[in-house]
Amino acid sequence: MTTTLPAPRSEAPLPVAPPEAPASDRGARLAQATVRWIAALGGAFLIFSALLISKNANPLTVYTDAWNSTFARQQSIEDIVIKMAPFVLAALAVVVPARAGMANVGGEGQVIIGAVAACGTAMAVGDALPGVTVMVLMMLAGMVAGALWAGIAGAMRLLLKVNEAVTTLLLNYVALDVLLFLIYQPWRADPTGQPATKELQTAAKLPLLAGTTVNVGIVIAVIAVVLVWIALSFTTWGFSLSVVGGNAEAARRAGLPVAKLLLSALLVGGALAGLAGMVHFAGVEYKLRPGFGAQIGYTAFLASWLARHKPIPVLLACFVFAALTVAGDSLQLDAGLPAATVNILTGLILIAVLGWTTSTRKANS
Amino acid sequence: MSLVVDVLAGGVRGGTSIMYAGLGETVSERSGVINLGTEGAMLVGALAGYAVTAETGSPWIGALGGAAAGALLASIHALLVVVRKANQFASGLTLLFLALGVTSFYGSDYVGKSINPFTKWDVPGLSDIPWIGEIFFQNDPLIYVSYVAVPLIWFVLFRTRMGLLVRTAGERSDSLTVNGYSVERIRSAAVIAGGALSGLGGAHLSIAYANAWFENMVVGRGFIAVALVIFASWSPLRVMGGAYLFGSALALAPALQARGYGVNQFALDVIPFVLTLLVLAVLGKRTLAAAPDELKRVFENAPAKT
Amino acid sequence: MSEAVLDEPPARSAELAVPLLSVSKFTKHFGEVKANTDVDLDILPGEVHALVGENGAGKSTLLKMIYGVYTPDSGRMLVEGAEVRPGSPADARALGIGMVFQDLRLVPAFTVVENIALSMAGGQFLRPDALAKQIDEASAKHGLRVHAKARVRHLSIGERQRVEILKVLMTGARLVILDEPTSVLAPQEVEALFGVVRHLRDLGFGVVIVTHKINEVRAIADRVTVLRGGRTILQGVIPSDYTNTELIEAMVGRAVSDLVADRAPVAGAAGSAPALELVGVRANGDRGNEALKGITFSVAPGELVGVAGVAGSGQRELCEVALGLRSTTSGAVRVCGTTTGSPRAALKAGAVSVPEDPVADTVVSRLSVLEHMALDGRALPRKRMGLNWSMIRSRSEKANSALGLKMAPLHRKVSELSGGNIQRVVLTRELSLDSTLVVAAYPSRGLDVLNTRRTQEILLEKRNASAGILMISEDLDELMSIADRIVVMHDGHVSGILSADEFDRQRIGELMLGGAA
Repeated sequence: MTTTLPAPRSEAPLPVAPPEAPASDRGARLAQATVRWIAALGGAFLIFSALLISKNANPLTVYTDAWNSTFARQQSIEDIVIKMAPFVLAALAVVVPARAGMANVGGEGQVIIGAVAACGTAMAVGDALPGVTVMVLMMLAGMVAGALWAGIAGAMRLLLKVNEAVTTLLLNYVALDVLLFLIYQPWRADPTGQPATKELQTAAKLPLLAGTTVNVGIVIAVIAVVLVWIALSFTTWGFSLSVVGGNAEAARRAGLPVAKLLLSALLVGGALAGLAGMVHFAGVEYKLRPGFGAQIGYTAFLASWLARHKPIPVLLACFVFAALTVAGDSLQLDAGLPAATVNILTGLILIAVLGWTTSTRKANS
Repeated sequence: MSLVVDVLAGGVRGGTSIMYAGLGETVSERSGVINLGTEGAMLVGALAGYAVTAETGSPWIGALGGAAAGALLASIHALLVVVRKANQFASGLTLLFLALGVTSFYGSDYVGKSINPFTKWDVPGLSDIPWIGEIFFQNDPLIYVSYVAVPLIWFVLFRTRMGLLVRTAGERSDSLTVNGYSVERIRSAAVIAGGALSGLGGAHLSIAYANAWFENMVVGRGFIAVALVIFASWSPLRVMGGAYLFGSALALAPALQARGYGVNQFALDVIPFVLTLLVLAVLGKRTLAAAPDELKRVFENAPAKT
Repeated sequence: MSEAVLDEPPARSAELAVPLLSVSKFTKHFGEVKANTDVDLDILPGEVHALVGENGAGKSTLLKMIYGVYTPDSGRMLVEGAEVRPGSPADARALGIGMVFQDLRLVPAFTVVENIALSMAGGQFLRPDALAKQIDEASAKHGLRVHAKARVRHLSIGERQRVEILKVLMTGARLVILDEPTSVLAPQEVEALFGVVRHLRDLGFGVVIVTHKINEVRAIADRVTVLRGGRTILQGVIPSDYTNTELIEAMVGRAVSDLVADRAPVAGAAGSAPALELVGVRANGDRGNEALKGITFSVAPGELVGVAGVAGSGQRELCEVALGLRSTTSGAVRVCGTTTGSPRAALKAGAVSVPEDPVADTVVSRLSVLEHMALDGRALPRKRMGLNWSMIRSRSEKANSALGLKMAPLHRKVSELSGGNIQRVVLTRELSLDSTLVVAAYPSRGLDVLNTRRTQEILLEKRNASAGILMISEDLDELMSIADRIVVMHDGHVSGILSADEFDRQRIGELMLGGAA
């Protein structure tokens, strides 16, 4: 689950290859890896093309249309960056527990609960406080709520030994029902209209970056990436998480506080996902409605796998998935295909990456 | 009293799809592979079952189509985790995504289309028994098939060589290698057979229970099945009981609403999931001791033995 | 398949007999490692053939090639005169070769019947009752008592070994290979095993017994083959033609004198609190069974206490309780007078440990030797937010040169090292620390003779520096040569505690089996 540990700061880097391996060998390995990635991704697109043909769509037209409407317009690129921010935060929510050897599949629910807490906070304080204060309170509320939601799974793992992948998944559905319950009854703004909460007061909406429609969520996300990278790579906490993730029994025998480390990883993860929910609420949607935040958590889980649970590559993986999501929307408009069609491509890419981008057969175990 | 009978009868009807998926997951996990893609296998099974029924007019062929689609999806899981040694959780979730995409891609043509579904058939004699008859013997044929499938799967797992090999793969795979069997082949077979059962469960949902196809119609039943297998201690017989329990939880909402109780729908929808979590909390630690050894390593994220 | 068991075995015959198995010039190199070079071995029907050599001599590579796990780079193999090339264990078994692995490949969750069914050809349906009857017949015939319907999980190691041997016989083997079968047994059990081996020899089976104990060679073997450094040093010679010294020299390449501990009391250690004190300790095993049933003894500072016992008598749980790794259900555990209930408390009180299973208990995947050296149980040395790697590096280098166990280079990933090299990393890390208590489980596991000797010396040095040493070993000779006292365990109890002047192999063996006799 964990990745290669970065080199200790003041030391020469730990060589990836045995020292006797000459540089040309490493070059060959790199070339091999590149070829493998290209072949894997090519295969994914090939299969997707075949599916498109089976529905009488010309893959070339679909790809060029999608490309044009995704990358050729300023607005689409801004849309990608907007969509990317919650993805990145929710993917970090997978990265941190993964370092300790845990699978947090509960991003979906933690995002929703974070947004619910943010929305509840905004509703509770109303216009009484200045916008910036509300924003900060919403962030805190979202993070605490997300952490607590993940903490349920953490407690079940530590006290009852129930696997966190199973519990976080089930909690997603509970979170969804909490959301629906709130917006259909107590928090519903208009009893006759669409079920949704009141729109967030303008002052508390995340500000936009100058001259764009992009909110500051992306800045928050990038800062989070850097902080997580530093924490995992250069702190004793990060090193200890790697030890727990690599062999929990060895960590216990070395006197590391394994339970605390596992719980801290899951709580930090939940807080990041809760923050993703807050960013999506206060930066994009402004109100809770059915379908709020759908698939952010799952997409982010897969993005984290695509990035092999490394914080910096997570940015790239989330950009790819955000672009795919935007392309999916345009697919729906241009080619009349369901928006969920891109899920196929997402799935195929992940299959290719999980199965065929490493030569070592135990790479992902 | 009729409320109890309604809920229990609803439990059998609504629980059967979960039961098939739980049986499939039992076979897969007995071989040491957890498949979170069960949710996806049910989805493709539901669509394939519905589509094949619509095209052929026969729900029986539709059920086979559902099983085949589930098996096909599970074969990707087998390829990824058994042959390519990918992470089991990541692969399972990837397949869910693939299934969501594929079913919405091909499923849009079948939304609102009407089919010739399985119909209720009363078992002569048995269906007249008070309560029992109403609950168990006034149902669709796939439910009767499940009454046979449960003991059959138990028999295969515990009384045949094939079952012995599957269980060995889950307990100690190097014992298979030493005896000249291929671990990969046995695990793949178990995962694919499990996918077929999950697909059949999905088909039950669309061509015998809801008699409709709509996007993402499985809504978590596959994940409940995965949890169910854990607290059923990997026993097909207990999976049956657990599935009916969850079916009953699902049936509670419509039964109450039909009687005019003004209960919030979402508060009821959440019951099966909360119930699952509670049961896991109460029984999880105890049943985990019964887990196949190699599956336990997956749960604990222990590095694979070489 | 019971026919195979009931078949008339080949008559026991003299030199004229065609060898059951004949291996010539087997070579297998793994990159730089020359595991086997031109190895010869031949086994006659009706003989017990000892295969001896120290760890790393190439015994297990040779066996794996014979059993079809590895393919030799070159060389020939004949079974009853016909050239064969087994490509898998199943091939080897079809040729009549049966192997009982040291780590016994039984499935613990299964019954004996299910385990044996796994290896037997047969129909698609299991017939547990019929097979149980066959098992009872075969077990009566060969004097191997087993309970067919029992779950293997509930069997002792000795019983499991009997199941394995029975399985091999029931699947029609004529050549039975036993890989270090005695290492997990009490002396009396060894005698019973040898009885079975002699019985098989008399029926005309060929038996290969792997060992590194000279007295066992003398007790059971008709002929002996000695491997060293992957080469055949002595091939098929008669043991009585050689002296012990000659055989040991053949094994290790030079004479090794017996290590004799002086057992002198350590000055200044008297009067202080025991390094380890256990009072009425009870604890459960992993499966909820009671593994320790009231253990009371203590290890004084400057004392080396050995623990003997049949495998699975509670040794592992004893170590874990002492180190705070396993919670007790009652009783008290004290390290240097302080009660320790957690690994951190035990480490803080000065305990270090060599775990029973170094791979499962200490190797962290993807981490280097250097990073493993940081995990010595002390607080991680910090430098600003992170770890002080240069300090860890220098103290690791110092430890390596002080102990002289020649640890692998610091940048190597530990998960890629061999068992012996992993053991040396663990030993260097743990034994270089200042400690008040050393809990060492099988410290010489995987080591060659010289490193084993060095490790024993280090343990004695720690003892003489006033540390208390608790040492688990399955080698009674090792314990009797360096321990001050031996605690014998049986089924979770202490069945006896012997001081150095009471050491007696026979007596210890009786205590290992419960001690009533």
